[in-house]
Amino acid sequence: MDIPRRYKSMFVLPGLITLVLIIIFPLLFTIRVSFSSWNVSSPQMDFVGVANYVTMLSDGRFWAGTLRLVLLAGGTVLIQYVLGFGLALLVWRNVLGRRLWRVLFLVPMMTTPVVMAAIWQTIFHESLGPVNDLLGRLGLEPVRWLTEAGPAVVALMTVEVWQWTPFMFLLMLAGLLSLPKEPFMAAAIDGAGAWRTFREVTFPLMAPVSVSAVIIRLIEASKLSDTVYVLTSGGPGSATESPGYYLYIRALKEQQTGYGGSLSLTYLILMIVTLTVVAALLARALKVKGDS
Amino acid sequence: MTLHATGLSLAADGVDHLKEVTATFRPGRLHTVIGRTLAGKTTLLRVLAGLQRVDSGSLTRDGADFLRTPVWRRDTAMVYQQFINYPHLDVRDNVAFPLRRAGLAREEIERRVEQSLARVGLAEFKERRPSQLSGGQQQRVAIARALAREASILLFDEPFANLDYKLREQLREEFKTLFSDQGDAVVIYTTTDPAEAMMLGDVVLVMHEGRIVQAGAPHEVFDRPATTTVARIVNDPPMNVFPGRIDGDLITVAGLPAGGVPGHLAGLADGAYQFGLRATDVGLAQSGVEGEVTFVEISGSETFVHAVAGQTPFVMQIEGIHDVALGEQVFMRLRPERLFAFDEEGALVRSPACETVLAGGR
Amino acid sequence: MPRLYPAFKYTVIALWACFVAGPFMWAATTSFKDANAVQGGATYLPWLQYEPTATGWRNIFGGSGGVDVLGPFLNSALVTVAASAISLVLGSLAAYGLSRFRYRAGFVKNSDIVFFFVSQRIMPPVVLVVPFFYLLQVAGLLDTVPGLVIVTVALLLPIAVWVMVDFFNGIPREIDEMAMLDGCNPLTAFTRAILPNSLPGLTVAAMFCAVFGWNDFFFAFRLTFTEIQTLPQAIVALNSSIPPWWTLSAAALFGISPLVLLAIWVERYLSKGNLSGAIR
Repeated sequence: MDIPRRYKSMFVLPGLITLVLIIIFPLLFTIRVSFSSWNVSSPQMDFVGVANYVTMLSDGRFWAGTLRLVLLAGGTVLIQYVLGFGLALLVWRNVLGRRLWRVLFLVPMMTTPVVMAAIWQTIFHESLGPVNDLLGRLGLEPVRWLTEAGPAVVALMTVEVWQWTPFMFLLMLAGLLSLPKEPFMAAAIDGAGAWRTFREVTFPLMAPVSVSAVIIRLIEASKLSDTVYVLTSGGPGSATESPGYYLYIRALKEQQTGYGGSLSLTYLILMIVTLTVVAALLARALKVKGDS
Repeated sequence: MTLHATGLSLAADGVDHLKEVTATFRPGRLHTVIGRTLAGKTTLLRVLAGLQRVDSGSLTRDGADFLRTPVWRRDTAMVYQQFINYPHLDVRDNVAFPLRRAGLAREEIERRVEQSLARVGLAEFKERRPSQLSGGQQQRVAIARALAREASILLFDEPFANLDYKLREQLREEFKTLFSDQGDAVVIYTTTDPAEAMMLGDVVLVMHEGRIVQAGAPHEVFDRPATTTVARIVNDPPMNVFPGRIDGDLITVAGLPAGGVPGHLAGLADGAYQFGLRATDVGLAQSGVEGEVTFVEISGSETFVHAVAGQTPFVMQIEGIHDVALGEQVFMRLRPERLFAFDEEGALVRSPACETVLAGGR
Repeated sequence: MPRLYPAFKYTVIALWACFVAGPFMWAATTSFKDANAVQGGATYLPWLQYEPTATGWRNIFGGSGGVDVLGPFLNSALVTVAASAISLVLGSLAAYGLSRFRYRAGFVKNSDIVFFFVSQRIMPPVVLVVPFFYLLQVAGLLDTVPGLVIVTVALLLPIAVWVMVDFFNGIPREIDEMAMLDGCNPLTAFTRAILPNSLPGLTVAAMFCAVFGWNDFFFAFRLTFTEIQTLPQAIVALNSSIPPWWTLSAAALFGISPLVLLAIWVERYLSKGNLSGAIR
């Protein structure tokens, strides 16, 4: 449509300017500070070149955290996708108490992650929590959920799956509800069984929704830090530390602002590159046209 | 108030949507724009409404530039092919919407809403939402809204095309009376249906591939189509156009002799021509041009027989129901006194004697 | 297989329902315990396994020696509502423009602007929080509601644009055109003809804004301290002291209750098929 320029600006500029103002200065600040030695004892905007980045290259804790995040985010999002899609299929139609299930399955994503992480901490408590209590009733040894590396990772993943499978469920259910009916009727007429109908009709039709849902969840999951902070504080040791949480320790707790800046930027760039590549690969694998 | 378009052109993706369109739209007249799908009719309306920008050309209203007037100051009402109403408003508020925007007094709004809804026969439905109405009723709401505004330009973009046949006929009948007293408004109505264009229009503009190929009074366009293209567009079924020759006082069609030169073609030089003949002017006979039947359709009380003579397809419109088999060899009688003669480029050379039987009844 | 399927289906649904409901049940039962009941190991059933008390609930609602959750609740509500409202207004305007008109600035096109908006979701709060700290300090907005609202808008505006662009793309353009022909300028066409028909989209956008606004912890955690505390902040602060689990549980249930009610309402929308148009 052809309308005068000032009207066009009137729509987009307020939002655009607001967002640019909120985002751009912090970004510029972070870039600049990452080349300085700013820390708690000498808060100064000097210029130390790429010294922070050199330090970062040999910062094993940061890289270990990054690798851990890739596995954690990839793993939990995959589990969330399978569970979310599966549950959506189960309550999609022909189920008693459909509305009750739908509400119940949505609730966890509405709850505050840090608040629920605090509750989960009590659930995984070694001596007083219900998980070990139930294990004991089954005759199993108690597990040191939050103080042993392996179980702590399992606990963290459990919380993430509990919290965010509903989001996947919501997107997949909305997608299923908007599917056309004809392909399913055609499949039924062809005498296709449940599995064939799913493989040849439902799954391909849901591919675009699947890709967006997985990407959105990967973006959110790669920011992981709140839950870690409350549930395990990155421990035991640094067994559950994500880059987001490590950044918090360096930049905020220890106030190494300059070094934190370089970590921030590296983390951000790694995220953007990885997610772009993953998005492109997923889109190609499922033959979905990329939409922005 | 007169609208004057000069050399309006618009191209996108290598397609000419409008090409050098020059036309004058006069007050108090109903202009019908006829053309096939994608001929540029909708684009023309959108340009006149201000919804679409053009590449070049000018548009004036009473001599003053109109192209740069924004949509909302053009005092133009439009009815779309799709039934477009405000989904969140009931029928009454739909019609009142433009009147409120124009800041009319409440009593005046009330009066006009009542009046225009009564005229389209929806007085009983004021409280309904558009979604609770049938397609025909929804379009009546849109028309009532356009009527109530008493706008100086009224645009109708194939308003009845999405309705079923019966309803289309009925609304078309009503349309003429509805807009007979729109005073000085410029009314423009697009259609693909020749009967509609001829019946409604005071002026008919024929569009083809973005151009206005002919404009004039309905009988002028119908009786003297400027080109073979126009002749096809303004007839339904499209006029038969076929190559032939005049040699002395003999006419040859598709290499076969088709009789003597009729009076109105007398005096034409010998040589190759394109002849045009309406479907009603070709009939089945015992002798004549021989052809093979390719398709037969029966519509109401008429039979349409499609046949090919040599390489040339013909369509005949014959009164009554006729049983003709596919593949059958038939003879076609061409009424020579009804022949249109075009030159080889397709421009009209001679038309049959004027006969102002308009297309309303085919 | 056909006979076994329903059994399988309801088993899975029941198992998942237990998993989802588990933490809430645990929090609910814990919120009625006292120190003795908690220290005695995991118990589940009031009266049968332990003697219920309302200490936890009294503590959060102004009992002596309790914690204040009402103040933080109001702060959270204020920040969420204000930031959501700003994001919805700015986001709808931008989304509408981007859905309807063509923008060009050098090589930048509409899709690039949409991408810019939406891609801001990728920013981890922890990356932004240090510069925000200094910026808000300079502006004198540290530890204030307006300061927190501003940074929360950065979280919510991308969501609003994302949902609304898709939604507006689904509304026929002819409606806006009609409104302009009927005498509306583009702004009034938007407010009078499009917005009244956008309730489903606005609802979904508002829901997402409310969820992400209400549940934000990190910004509040690092940018507000003594004057202003949000609910997640207050509850997490409880956790770090020696476990008064009953108070923590009561506060947690209280803190998540507004959005659980929202979930019930969202499902209604979903049933009516309104979400499908807005999420794609």
